[in-house]
Amino acid sequence: MIALHNVHYTYPGSELPTLHELTLSVPSGQFCALVGPNRAGKSTLCYVLSGFIPHFYRGKLAGDVQVAGVDVPRTSLAELAGVVGLVFQNPFNQISGARFSVREEVAFGLENLGVPREEILPRVDQALALVGLGALADRSPYALSGGEQQRLALASVMVMRPKVLVLDEPTAQLDPRGTRAVFEALRRISAQGKTTVFMVEHKLEWVATFADRVVVLEQGRLVADGDPRAILGSPAAWGRGVGRTRYTEAAQRGGERGLIHASGPLPVTLEQATRFFQ
Amino acid sequence: MRAPTLYLERQSGLHALHPTTKLALSGLFLTGAAVMPGLHWLLALFAFGLLPLAAWGQVARPLLRTSLALIWPFALSLLLIQGFFAPGEQVLFRLGPLALKQEGLLLGALFTARILVWLGTATLLMLITRPDHLMQAFTEQGLPHQISYIVLATIQIIPRFQAKAQTILDAQRSRGLETEGLLTVRLRALLPLIGPLILGSILDVDERAMALEARAFSRRGPKTYLTVLSDSLGQRLLRWLCLLLMVAMVLPRLAPW
Repeated sequence: MIALHNVHYTYPGSELPTLHELTLSVPSGQFCALVGPNRAGKSTLCYVLSGFIPHFYRGKLAGDVQVAGVDVPRTSLAELAGVVGLVFQNPFNQISGARFSVREEVAFGLENLGVPREEILPRVDQALALVGLGALADRSPYALSGGEQQRLALASVMVMRPKVLVLDEPTAQLDPRGTRAVFEALRRISAQGKTTVFMVEHKLEWVATFADRVVVLEQGRLVADGDPRAILGSPAAWGRGVGRTRYTEAAQRGGERGLIHASGPLPVTLEQATRFFQ
Repeated sequence: MRAPTLYLERQSGLHALHPTTKLALSGLFLTGAAVMPGLHWLLALFAFGLLPLAAWGQVARPLLRTSLALIWPFALSLLLIQGFFAPGEQVLFRLGPLALKQEGLLLGALFTARILVWLGTATLLMLITRPDHLMQAFTEQGLPHQISYIVLATIQIIPRFQAKAQTILDAQRSRGLETEGLLTVRLRALLPLIGPLILGSILDVDERAMALEARAFSRRGPKTYLTVLSDSLGQRLLRWLCLLLMVAMVLPRLAPW
């Protein structure tokens, strides 16, 4: 579903490339998380996947970018809207400003696509149910909390039924409740099996619970790729600005003090830690 | 953020009218106020024209409140300036070399009443019309959707700025900026606000442009609408009638005979 081959990218006016020799393949339906230290190029990769590089940010893009069979650099942003959806950090700036109710805000994308009116209503209701905003359909987008606004952005994108959903730290500006609500919505989306999810996220406990696969980006290069426990539970990842979950930290300290002996990757989630410590 | 519009949601017949009908009625009032000669006529237009309409739309009190809040600076300056400086004989009051004359006061009152009807009409229009529905009415008639969006975005600039300024002030207060006390202290506190406000708003525009692209905004091709704006033959006739009346009122003033 996502096929990047030997992708290089340099921002306009920049001397050094931000992405180097990036080759990545994500199969359909997978939930893939991208982690890494700051300034590694994670947002840049999100823009490459969704077509904002090169259409919005210009610069020098080399290599092959195929998403859902579509050659992204050669397809216009308007056509890409139905193929790959992007949700980014700031919930407030994703409110289009063109509509004054939640329902109409979600319908906005379908209106632009020229979808017949009879089809718009049920699709909007489905999208609102998917993110849990059904009860707020008639409210103004400006009267929502950050978590609700972020779920509104998610619904506005999902209503267009993209094959790939790209998220750039969607919970960075949210409180724990808002974060949970967004991840619950992502769980429902992923469970449908129709969407490939590619998410940049720093909150490792959530990544460890939800992601099928974790890839690590460092200085524009992919340096690790595997399942969450293998990547986040092994000491090799820790020094590279990735960090550990609390459970891994606890297991690590237990090992240091000789309280437990572990071979192989340490636990990264609560369930794994519970089994590990028993 | 406060809702970016003056619009008040009501289940009234006035609200249910097509946006262009509301525009036509507003045009009628605006033109009427422009051509009417007398103070009584203008006040009657406000009291027996605008207010009943506002009552039908269940927004009479907000209309009165907003109109009065907006009109008093005009009233004050017009009454004083016309009162003191317009030509006239009947002096009511002397203040040094200046004399407040009755003719001047009446003239000031006339101008004030005219502005009152204009402001009242604009306010009523905004109270009963949702901006996006108004824009949809235009777009359905052929206005490019980019222009429609620019109008809507412009309406929201001030509430957005206010919300952002509040956030920036809070952040700076928490880092020790003094915002209370003497007027000079409060004014000086606004200086560190300007840079982040403007730069931050420009960056916000970047992100919002991306959000619009992600909703296929730049797609060329026919668009559909979720909201159906109800129109009828009766409303179409009413709009033509308003147009005819407006022309009839303006024509005698344009023609030299």
